[in-house]
Amino acid sequence: MDFRPNNIAVVANAVESFIREFFDQNPLSHLGLITIRNGVAKRITELSGNPEAHIRALRSNMECGGDASLQNALDLAREVLAQIPSYGYREVLIIYSALSTCDPGDIMDTLTKCKGAKIRCSIVGLSAEIYICKLLCEQTGGVYSVALNESHLNDLVFEHAPPPPALAESAIASLVRMGFPERVSEDAVALCACHKQVKVGGCYTCPRCRARVCELPTECNICQLTLVSSPHLARSYHHLFPVPVFEEVLLNLAHSKLPNVCFGCQQDLPIGGSKELGVRVACPKCKQHFCFDCDVYIHESLHNCPGCESLPHESNV
Amino acid sequence: MAKSNDIGQDDVSQVVILLDVNPYFWGRKSIESGSSGLTFNQFMQSVVLFVNSILLLNNLNEAAVVAFGTRSCRFVFNSKLQGRNDKLHSSPSSRLLKHIDEFLNTEDALPTSMEQTNINESSLLSGALSLALCYIQRTLKSGQPHPQPRVLCLQCKSDAPQQYVAIMNAVFSAQRSMIPIDTCAVGTEHSAFLQQAAHITGGIYMKPSMPEGIFQYLTVVFATDLHSRRFLQLPRPAGVDFRASCFCHKKTIDMGYICSVCLSIFCKKRSSCSTCGANFSQRQPTSIGLKRKSATITLS
Repeated sequence: MDFRPNNIAVVANAVESFIREFFDQNPLSHLGLITIRNGVAKRITELSGNPEAHIRALRSNMECGGDASLQNALDLAREVLAQIPSYGYREVLIIYSALSTCDPGDIMDTLTKCKGAKIRCSIVGLSAEIYICKLLCEQTGGVYSVALNESHLNDLVFEHAPPPPALAESAIASLVRMGFPERVSEDAVALCACHKQVKVGGCYTCPRCRARVCELPTECNICQLTLVSSPHLARSYHHLFPVPVFEEVLLNLAHSKLPNVCFGCQQDLPIGGSKELGVRVACPKCKQHFCFDCDVYIHESLHNCPGCESLPHESNV
Repeated sequence: MAKSNDIGQDDVSQVVILLDVNPYFWGRKSIESGSSGLTFNQFMQSVVLFVNSILLLNNLNEAAVVAFGTRSCRFVFNSKLQGRNDKLHSSPSSRLLKHIDEFLNTEDALPTSMEQTNINESSLLSGALSLALCYIQRTLKSGQPHPQPRVLCLQCKSDAPQQYVAIMNAVFSAQRSMIPIDTCAVGTEHSAFLQQAAHITGGIYMKPSMPEGIFQYLTVVFATDLHSRRFLQLPRPAGVDFRASCFCHKKTIDMGYICSVCLSIFCKKRSSCSTCGANFSQRQPTSIGLKRKSATITLS
């Protein structure tokens, strides 16, 4: 079964949203794109952390045709992923539309090599289950799935955005020295250290050696300091300091002095005695009352309790 | 207020203004500068005029004001609640001033928990931002054609590093909901957090060089709606300060040590992570990056 208007358009949309979601969830990770067509695997973007560059390259490489070669693709991916340090995860996600693979050599060798290089291969198929795909995913610890329709394809691709659980041996903690560069003024003209080109604005300055780099996260070309932007790190902090679960306030209790509006959105809250529908919840820490909508928003997106944040901060974060 | 569909939604705005009424800042300022410089009265006057101008620019515009001090923050004005709580149909400005007065009085009356031993002078920006976003979320969820929301943050006091995580959480949430956060550092120093907030959400950051002329800045720069901004030459940011604050001493740092497991930031080398309890092994920290996956997508 083909997707409408055609497979490549549907896959490109799924990949585009995957790229955005991937960088939203893994802001410090890198990603690269490879196309397989006419029996050849071609690298269209190098491993990097800029979603827009990937999407642009993806949109300009929309042709398709010829046989697909799984072996060529895996060999190229292995080569690309070889530069990742040993504690990084290496993953390959293949979106495979063909029903066969046309390889120059023995694909089993490639499979063993991938396994040896600790590369996790996952495949989302578009047509039917293929034995070699299943074997590859099983052997390398990945997931193999076949899409039934367009929305299922999107779901399957999106499942690969959250990072896989850390393996015990790779979870050796280390303290990494990092710099938080300053973004220079939009009008400043400077020579960037990474491409050795003159750039106008939009550059970052390494705090240690003052060299200019174009893009974050990266490593300073001059002093080898790892440079990140602090918002990249801060994206994951809500996992470290979760908001306490709000408790429902029972209205049949004889509370006379309940606040009558939600602390967050100022909407009316159900008052004891009235038969209005709705739930009233309270933060166990600051005792402020919230409506159900705010409860959902606070826990799913905001990750801050407005009530607790409105109190003077203690010494902890 | 009735909503009509025939008016382009781009021109209708909902502005939530966060107002820093930190008594330490304004008190010190009046002592130091005497009669010169921006006083709290002038500041309030400009804000009232600004709220009025927002409401006058379009009949459907909405404005809300959140005041935040050192011990609490609260909504002090909401143009939607016209004449609901007040028996008299008073003007927006008198209502705003009345509620600000009430807010300042209650804030004065709040008990100091730490008996002056450890006076926390920073303003509660994170709380005010969270309140504003909850309030805007209600507009976004209402379903009907709604005004374009944005937040204007007028911060006076310098950044409070202990609020870093909370402020960033709020900023990311605003980014996801496409709510621009305009920021204006009224005080003497540039604010790294406000710069980051504006940069991430696509708002405008400005630090007025002459704070006494704040009204001019407010009307010329921050009163413009999102649609008009595309045609205007607004102040361009003079760089963004991406510094973070460390978890151990709450200092703002430009270079630090990051735990590879939970990404906590520390300003000095340490033997274990205070957030996730990971023990840092003795081997040299590796040079590049953190443990995070790297993926290659293959298209066929």
